[in-house]
Amino acid sequence: MKINLKVNGILEEVEVDASAVLLDVLRDKLHLTGTKEGCREGECGACTVLIDGQPVDSCLYSAAAAANAEIETVEGISANGLSAIQKAMVEEGGIQCGFCTPGIVMTLTALLRQNADPTPQDVAVALNGNICRCTGYSRIVSATLKAAKNAMAQKAGDAHA
Amino acid sequence: MPEVIGRSVPRADGPGKVTGQTLYTADIEHKGMLHAAILRSPVPAGKIVRLNVDKARQMPGVKAVVTAADVPNVRAGWALFDTPMFARDEVLFEGEPIAAVAATTLAQSRAAVAAIELEIQEIPPVGDIDMALAAGARLIHPKLAQYGSVPGIVFNREGNVACKYAYEEPGVDEAFARADRIIEDTYDFGRQYQGYLEPKGTVVQYRDGRYTVQSGHQYVFNLRDRLAQFLQIKPSDVRVQGMAIGGGFGGKLDFGPEPYAAVLAKATGKPVKLIFSREEDLLAATVREGARVRVRSALDKDGNIIGREFFTDHDNGAYSGELILMAGLALMFCRGVYRTGPIRTQFRLIYTNTSPTGAYRGVSGVPMISAIECHMDHIARELGVDPRAYRLAHTLNNNEKLPNGQMLHDAAILMEAYAEIEKIAPWEEMKRTKKPLEGVAIGSTVWLTNPLPASATVKLNEDGSAHVLSGTCDIGTGAMAQGVVGIVAQTLGLDPANVHVVQPDTDVAAYDGGSQGSRTTRAVGRAAEHAAIEVRQKVLDAAAPLMQTEAARLTLSGGKIHDIEDPGKAIGLTDILMMGAFASGPIVGTGKHAEQPIPFDPGCAAGLAFPTLPTPTYHVHMAKVAVCPMTGNVEVKRYIVAQEVGKALNPQGISGQIQGGVAQGIGYALHEGLRVKDGRYMERSLEAYRLPLAVDIPEVEAIILEHPADEGPFGAKGTAEPPIVLAPAVIHNAIYDAIGVPLNSIPLTPENILEALERRKSA
Ligand code: FES
Ligand code: FES
Repeated sequence: MKINLKVNGILEEVEVDASAVLLDVLRDKLHLTGTKEGCREGECGACTVLIDGQPVDSCLYSAAAAANAEIETVEGISANGLSAIQKAMVEEGGIQCGFCTPGIVMTLTALLRQNADPTPQDVAVALNGNICRCTGYSRIVSATLKAAKNAMAQKAGDAHA
Repeated sequence: MPEVIGRSVPRADGPGKVTGQTLYTADIEHKGMLHAAILRSPVPAGKIVRLNVDKARQMPGVKAVVTAADVPNVRAGWALFDTPMFARDEVLFEGEPIAAVAATTLAQSRAAVAAIELEIQEIPPVGDIDMALAAGARLIHPKLAQYGSVPGIVFNREGNVACKYAYEEPGVDEAFARADRIIEDTYDFGRQYQGYLEPKGTVVQYRDGRYTVQSGHQYVFNLRDRLAQFLQIKPSDVRVQGMAIGGGFGGKLDFGPEPYAAVLAKATGKPVKLIFSREEDLLAATVREGARVRVRSALDKDGNIIGREFFTDHDNGAYSGELILMAGLALMFCRGVYRTGPIRTQFRLIYTNTSPTGAYRGVSGVPMISAIECHMDHIARELGVDPRAYRLAHTLNNNEKLPNGQMLHDAAILMEAYAEIEKIAPWEEMKRTKKPLEGVAIGSTVWLTNPLPASATVKLNEDGSAHVLSGTCDIGTGAMAQGVVGIVAQTLGLDPANVHVVQPDTDVAAYDGGSQGSRTTRAVGRAAEHAAIEVRQKVLDAAAPLMQTEAARLTLSGGKIHDIEDPGKAIGLTDILMMGAFASGPIVGTGKHAEQPIPFDPGCAAGLAFPTLPTPTYHVHMAKVAVCPMTGNVEVKRYIVAQEVGKALNPQGISGQIQGGVAQGIGYALHEGLRVKDGRYMERSLEAYRLPLAVDIPEVEAIILEHPADEGPFGAKGTAEPPIVLAPAVIHNAIYDAIGVPLNSIPLTPENILEALERRKSA
């Protein structure tokens, strides 16, 4: 079947099986390989993308069900250079092997849009659907707090100007 | 130009990873690429009575189906050659490959796998090490004695034991005979899955009579050699190109999907991609081995350990990998870092009809050191003394020896580590402020570094940037992306942003021992430093005539060549590269690193693959836990590490290794146990095999101790493995402290803990 997907603001028409999951369509049809497959069981979160702003496991999400929604992938949020959370992840060392990173960036992007000033506990809870095997999470949490702080400082600065 | 070494410079590969641009194996696509799938044994042991692939070959999209009949009839291996590529007449573990299919789509190859007709006559599996060692046990490898092995190493093999090593010092029996008391413990250790986020995968092409293999792999030369063994070709007929690697932790050091994709690539003439599903990855992962360690200490009336027995049995699974090289660790670690009197030690690696085990961060040392540390707490408790005070009273000092005869010149660093932890978490206060069912523990160890050789080439580009080429990858630790980049940047006075690491490639790089055993920063770093020094000298030699002076008067920093005696005089590096290169030729340097043999008494260690290991580092960990009496859950409330690293090239990278390693250790201590029942794994998904989440792990407090080593690059030593090595025992001992009854296994799941709490009630 043919479906229309709006990915990172761009409308794409793709031919898919009715049973196709969004992850495969993104990676194999649209060549957006920044979204990773770590388990295909909905456990690891490496495949996290945003649908209408909410993080979902694209490995379990029907592609057809995503038609007409706003889909955001890591490529989309990187389009204008590194976002606040991406920058903070690099600076704080919240990255090791990097395989979990795009998914975690997406989850944290959604968190920071909803909660501009999260506590460490808020961040840890937001990451309940994302496994990172390498980092022990501490630096991912500190990166999130730093990104929030930077964004708030920037906002304050903008308001001042 | 600020110093690079010692500064927390962000990792060079960070931007690529946060944006999803970094290319991992699964992201590769080639024109005409086929997708492969493997048929694996559904049972742990049996005879193959029928295997028919005719129907599968006729399925839509199928381009090739291969089995044992299509590959050389050989056995291969890292050290002991016991592993066939495909099961031939018999299967020895659940998950053993039997056939492989390549088709246009993955769905087609999976459908063809399902259509292969396979009939296996099941045999009761030799499911665990007790069954394997029982008198009259069925032999898993009846032809064990005939298998080939790498030259120079003696594997004492017999029955179901792939490798046995025993040693004793004189006086053990006397010590036990005159002991005031004897304390004995047996600990059981579960299997731990590496759980890297990226399942194993590969893309292989066959052209011009050669294989090109693209894989996220920790040790590309080992992979090249294994393929050559399986395919009976020259190693140089295989080119392995390392891709970015989504974690490995020891699990990606040997072959995975590569030989199967290679055979299919040759059979079809097309590039073949083979990515393991998560379940398949877990089934065939060469996980940390299950082990049983029996440790027995003879104590005199003052509580001194006057004799020690240490017997350690490790589950090899059905075929051998790296573990067979680890027998020497029993000799190195049976004493821990404490004085013991004479020792008797034995290491056995035992075949079972289970998935082969292998290296996982802290390979084989984790159960050994865990057993020692748990036993030390038990001794202290029996004696009614404080476990920390007991350790301090018996800890090795400078210039004391490990049982292999290897001298620890600087063991007193352990005391410094205890003292540093004491500053931020005074022991008596930690004990005093415990609430009911809270516990604290502290432990210490030495760790050593993998000794394989390294090489590196540094190429200076015409724009003043540099490329570093070596045979190892950055597995995620930052050893290349931060460590080696920093070493080269510092040596050449470059901005680290202008130093680029090239992925490993066996066609291009010289031999290297891979990303394992905490060796990369030290060994590849040293090689890269030598290469960079050569480059620097060549730059200065090229600059000297242009600056009309002697090279000896010149230095290189901040992208300029300066005359030491005439500070006003300087010339840009890029100018030299443009002008000077006409005269000097392009500027490239190469370096290598090989370990010098450590002086020791070979008598006790004769025949071992690694009788000694270089570069001891010293470690003390402390934990505080709270046990929930209702659920048996354990909360880790505080975790502190004091780790000696030689020189901290990049403190951020090191603390990241400490936090990540401890998180894996906490997982192992509390819930990461891959249980085996009748030869089969009970956990087969990430849902069942739970990895730690952010809410499970406290902020690990890391204290970095520096004692630069003469022979390390800028004094650096290995750092990545040790954080996992102590964590399981320290958490275990903190739980022991919290509930007061002995617990003799790792992991300690909520069920184990509830059961122990019951025992406590009835006691
Ligand atoms: S790949 Fe989707 S949750 Fe793991
Ligand atoms: S950085 Fe490797 S899994 Fe998170």
